[in-house]
Amino acid sequence: MIDVEDLVKDYGTVVAVRGLSFRIGAGEVVGFLGPNGAGKTTTLRILSGFLPATSGRVRIGGHDIRTDALAARSRLGYLPESAPSYPELRVREYLLFRARLKRVPRKRRADALEQAMAEAGVASMADTLIGHLSKGYRQRLGLADALLGSPPLLILDEPTAGLDPNQILEIRALVRALGKAHTVLLSTHILSEVEATCDRAIVIAKGRLVAEGSVDALRASPKREAALLVRDPDGLAPGLLAEDPRLQHVAVEAADGLVRLVLTFAPEADAGTALEAAVARLVRSGVAVREATLRKVRLEEVFGSLTRAGRSDAPAPEATP
Amino acid sequence: MNGALAIYRREMLSLWVTPLAWVLMAAFLVLQGLSFHLTLSHFANYPDVAFQGGPIQAYFGQSMFMPLSILLVAPALTMRTFAEERRSGTLEALLTAPVTAAGVVAGKYLASLSTYVLLWLPTILYVVILRDTGHIDWAVVGASYLAVLGIGAAYLAIGTLMSALTRSQLTALMLSFFALFGSLIAGIGEFVFPPGLLQELCAHVSVIGQIEEMSRGVVDSRRLVFDATLVLLPLLLTTRVVEVWR
Repeated sequence: MIDVEDLVKDYGTVVAVRGLSFRIGAGEVVGFLGPNGAGKTTTLRILSGFLPATSGRVRIGGHDIRTDALAARSRLGYLPESAPSYPELRVREYLLFRARLKRVPRKRRADALEQAMAEAGVASMADTLIGHLSKGYRQRLGLADALLGSPPLLILDEPTAGLDPNQILEIRALVRALGKAHTVLLSTHILSEVEATCDRAIVIAKGRLVAEGSVDALRASPKREAALLVRDPDGLAPGLLAEDPRLQHVAVEAADGLVRLVLTFAPEADAGTALEAAVARLVRSGVAVREATLRKVRLEEVFGSLTRAGRSDAPAPEATP
Repeated sequence: MNGALAIYRREMLSLWVTPLAWVLMAAFLVLQGLSFHLTLSHFANYPDVAFQGGPIQAYFGQSMFMPLSILLVAPALTMRTFAEERRSGTLEALLTAPVTAAGVVAGKYLASLSTYVLLWLPTILYVVILRDTGHIDWAVVGASYLAVLGIGAAYLAIGTLMSALTRSQLTALMLSFFALFGSLIAGIGEFVFPPGLLQELCAHVSVIGQIEEMSRGVVDSRRLVFDATLVLLPLLLTTRVVEVWR
């Protein structure tokens, strides 16, 4: 349904997406996961045809989003982040406008409207001014808009952002229900959201794919972190460890006159031998190692370790034209 | 032109369910009514003063009110067009729908043009009033309204382009106001420069000259080509801007 090849988006000042490739099959419900500023919104905007990519290729249902734009766009329903709408219109007026825009045939328009409003749960608000709707209902209105004309693919950018806990549960239930009839790609920075609604997750950080797979597979991914407690008065450790390609990242924090190092291993590296090598290297150079522990990583920490590389840098601006 | 009709209807709805169009219309008609009243009083008070043409010609062609009121109305009508959609983020939903850039621009432009025409519609009453008191030269009426339509269409196209250049309505308003004011000033050059190329150039682009000439019932195709150019060029540029966004 979605086929992304080597996608790059360069805003000029920031490279928001750096060579992203993934595929999503028909009928899947996929979570697009990453910390704020990882490039999620940029990627979804490219997929929806709102932003042009600097390079790379996107196909929606086999149609290229640039060369066959109208066909690609008519196959997807898109919920932009924070679901913007016209406050001066009523819910029904807005959806009628959107149905016309999406060229839902005149005969089916009234039915499509009722169906979308019923599915998204805004039927009771049909004659309310959009400016008077609560955030939760506005989000539902955005969903109803995305659902108009039942496109096979739904792209939802942070559908639960800014909602209260009850609304979040409602929207999640809604997304689960929609997943039965549509392919869904939803972005979030909340892990439990993916657990609650998705079959599979695509994790990105700093514009790159860092992991992909089912939530269970991500959880079962090998332990990738180690904590070291060392005595390092000359501050040699970070420099020494930076030379090892098996270490993806080294975090340094002071602890009671000693230094705590948190090592993140590269995905392909064997954590055990990499840790042994790191300790050996430190000891050889005169850094005293007091503790070395391979951590049992919780799911949140998997996410954290996978995406930590992206956190240290300035986040990409969520630029709009 | 995919989506033009849907966008046109949405724009018209949004314009007329919010106060903007009504406020503009009220202000515009007060100004026009005042101008018409002054013109008529002038004719009534000085029946002996020789003036070529009747009150209609004077109302359209002899008053600075006419170009000024178009200058004031056009930027206000078009400032929201794209700036507001960009600020509020609705542009994202709009441009991800299966619509073409030309369709978006055409729908939005035609909505502001229709609203502009609706603003002028009540002024036809002035002609009706005068018909009861004397002879009406229909060529003058037709040509005058054609001038108003041509100049307005051009000004609205420029305003639409300015609205696409910024995210702020106020900036869009100021940009188009200055652009249009510049065009008005260029026309005054006709009376400032000595006879020569510069003066002729100013005369050709003069909106004041155009409305004065057409209010005499003279329709020069060069004027219409000039207006059409000022409609098409900004609109093509706007389409290009929208295409660049996506």
